[in-house]
Amino acid sequence: MTAFARKNADKPPMLVYEDVRKRYGSFIALDGVSLHVNAGEVVCLIGPSGSGKSTLLRCTNALETIDGGEIRFEGRPLPTKDSEIRQIRQRMGMVFQSFELFPHQTALENVTIGLTTVRKMAAEEAKARALALLAKVGLADKTANYPANLSGGQQQRVAIARALAMEPHVMLFDEPTSALDPETVGEVLNVMRNLAQEGMTMIVVTHEMSFAQRVANWVVVFERGQLLEQGPPQQIFEAPTVERTRDFLGHLGWNG
Amino acid sequence: MKLDWSIVWQSRWLLFEGALVTILLTALTMLIAVPGGIVLALMRNSRLKPIALFATGFVELFRNLPLLLLVYWAFYVMPVLTGFGLPPFTTGLVALCLNVSAYNSETFRSGINSIRRGQSEAGLALGMSRLEVFRQIVLPQAWRRVLPILASTWVSLFKDTSLVSVIAVGELAHTAMQIRSQSFRVLEMLTAMAAIYWVLGYPQAKIVDWIHRKYGVRE
Amino acid sequence: MDLDFSPLIDSWRFIASGLGLTIVLSVAAVVCSFVLGLAVGLGRMYGPGWLRVLLVFYIDSMRAIPVFVVLVWIYFAVPIISGHSFDPFWAALIGITIHVAAYVAEVIRAGITSIRKGQTQAGLAIGMSGAQIVRKILLPQATVRMLPAFGSIVSVTIKDTAIAAVIAVPELMRQAETVAGQSYRPIEVFTTVMVIYFLLIFPVTRLIDWFYGRVAHLGRS
Repeated sequence: MTAFARKNADKPPMLVYEDVRKRYGSFIALDGVSLHVNAGEVVCLIGPSGSGKSTLLRCTNALETIDGGEIRFEGRPLPTKDSEIRQIRQRMGMVFQSFELFPHQTALENVTIGLTTVRKMAAEEAKARALALLAKVGLADKTANYPANLSGGQQQRVAIARALAMEPHVMLFDEPTSALDPETVGEVLNVMRNLAQEGMTMIVVTHEMSFAQRVANWVVVFERGQLLEQGPPQQIFEAPTVERTRDFLGHLGWNG
Repeated sequence: MKLDWSIVWQSRWLLFEGALVTILLTALTMLIAVPGGIVLALMRNSRLKPIALFATGFVELFRNLPLLLLVYWAFYVMPVLTGFGLPPFTTGLVALCLNVSAYNSETFRSGINSIRRGQSEAGLALGMSRLEVFRQIVLPQAWRRVLPILASTWVSLFKDTSLVSVIAVGELAHTAMQIRSQSFRVLEMLTAMAAIYWVLGYPQAKIVDWIHRKYGVRE
Repeated sequence: MDLDFSPLIDSWRFIASGLGLTIVLSVAAVVCSFVLGLAVGLGRMYGPGWLRVLLVFYIDSMRAIPVFVVLVWIYFAVPIISGHSFDPFWAALIGITIHVAAYVAEVIRAGITSIRKGQTQAGLAIGMSGAQIVRKILLPQATVRMLPAFGSIVSVTIKDTAIAAVIAVPELMRQAETVAGQSYRPIEVFTTVMVIYFLLIFPVTRLIDWFYGRVAHLGRS
C-alpha cells in the first residue's frame, strides 16, 4: 500500500474501531475489524451482503452492542450507560435504508421532533431550523406533506434533514439508496455529495460504486466480517492489491 | 363468613353435565355456522344484487346486536314463526348460529378478499370455472388466514354459550346458578363456576395462540 | 300474528331511561377499559418480569371466563367477601371494564409489535429515550393501526352492557324484559329494542371504520 496521506491525518481521528467483534448466535458478523475515520473524511464501506458493513455502522451508534474490541468516538470509548449513549447518539446522525420517517408526522414535524423532544428546543426555533434544512435538501415546498405523499427519494431527503437537524459530528448512511427507484437515487446522492463538500464526516455503506469512487476519500472493502482491503478510491477501484477485491468488483460488473 | 366448599364436590356430576352441554352447544353451533358463514360470504360477493343485499343486511344485523337480546328474541319469536314450542336448547342454538354465522361470514369474506385477484385471474386464464377457481385456488390459500380467526371465534362462542342460561338451557352457567340458588352457597358456586370456565377456557386460549403462531400469515 | 305496540308507547319513558343508562354505561365502560387496557398493555410489554407474568395471567383469564360469569361474581360474590353490597351499575361497570381491558391490552400489544424495529431505531438514532419513543413514535402509529380492532371492541362493549340486565341494572335490555313481561307482548318489545340497539351500534362501528379509512396512511411506516 502506498503511503497515501489521508485527509486530516494530522489530527486525532474521529472514530476508531479496534479489533471489533460481533456475533449473532453462531453467526460471526464482525471478526476483528480495525479501521479509523478522520474528521471531514467520507469513508465508504463496500462489500457483499452480509459481510458486516451495516453491522459495523449500527454498532457505531450503539444500536447493536459489540462482543469484543473497542469503538472510540472523539477519543473516548462508547459508553454503556443508557443516558450517556443517548448523548453520543445526538452527535451522530443515521440515515436508514428504509428511510424510517415517522408516518404520523409531516416532513416538517419529522425534522423538528428531534429538536423539540431531545434537545428541548423551543418550537419556533426548531421550526425555523427545520425549514432551513428542508430547503437545503430541496424540499422547501413539501414541508407539510406526510410521508405517504412523498416519493422514496423525497422521503430519504427528509430523513437526511432529520438527522442533520441534530448537528451531528458524523453522519452514518446505511445503504441510503438501495430502496429507491433508479430515477430518485440521483437526487439523494446529490444531497450526500453536497454534504461531503461542506466537510461533513460521513460513513456510507453503499452499493453505488460510482458514488464511492467520486466522492469517497477512503474506501473499505468487507468480506465475511473481515476487512479485505482499505485505501483511497483510486487504489480500490483501479488497482486493488487483494485478488478478492478485484473479484468482488468484477462480480458487480464494475469496469472502472 | 362461613364457607362450605363441599357443595362443589357434591354437585360435580351436575356441573360436569353442564360443561358437556356447553361443549355440545359450541360444537353444534360451529358445525352449522362455519358452512353458514361461507355461504353468506359467497352471497355477499355475488353479482346478483338482491342476494348480495340480503346477505349484507343479514350479516350487519346479527353482528350489531347483543347476543342476549337475540336469545330472548328467538325464545319468543320462534314459537310464533314455527307454530310449535321448541326446547330451549334449540332456541339457544338458533340464536347462537345466527350470531356466529354473521361473524364467520366476515371472517371468510376478508380471507377470500385477501387473496390477490391475480391468483383468480391466473386460474381463469387456465380455463377453470369460477367454482373451480374458488375451490382449488382461493379456498386453500384463504384457509390459512381464516383458521386463526375461526379458532378465536370458537373460544368467544364457548364463553357466549353462558348467555343462553337465561332461557334455562342446562349448560354450565345455568347449572351452576341453579345449584347456587338452591343451596344458598353463593360464593362457593360462583367461584367454582368461574374456575371451571377458566380450566376449560385457558387451554383453548393457548391453543388459539399456537394456531396464530403456526398459521399466521404476514406478507 | 296480531301486533300491538301500545305497551311500548305507554312505557316509552321507561324504555328511554334504559337507553340512557345503556349509553352512560357504554361510554363509561369504553373509557375505563381503554385506560386500564393501556396501562395493562404497556405494563405487559415494558414492565418488570413479575408484573408481566401477573398481567399475562390476568389477560389470559379474561379470555377464558365469560363476561356473564365476571359480572355475576362481582355482584353476588364480592359483597359476601367484603361485607357490603354494590350498586348493580358499579358492579357492571367494574366487571365489563375488567373484562374488556384485557382485550384492549392485547390489541395494544399487537399494534405496537406490528411496527417495524426501524422506527424505534430511527428514534434511538436521534437520541430519544425509550419512553419518548413509545410515547411519540410507537403509540401514535399503533393507535391508527388499531382503530379497526378498537372499533370492534367498542361494539362488543356496548353489546356487553346488555348482559348487565342479568344483575338487574336498569339499562335498555332489562327495561325491555320488564315491559315484555308485563305486557305479554314480547315480540313487539324485543323487535323494537333490536332496532334501537342496531341504530346504536351500527353507526358507531361504521364511523370508526370510516375514520380509519381517512387516517390509515398515518399508521403505515
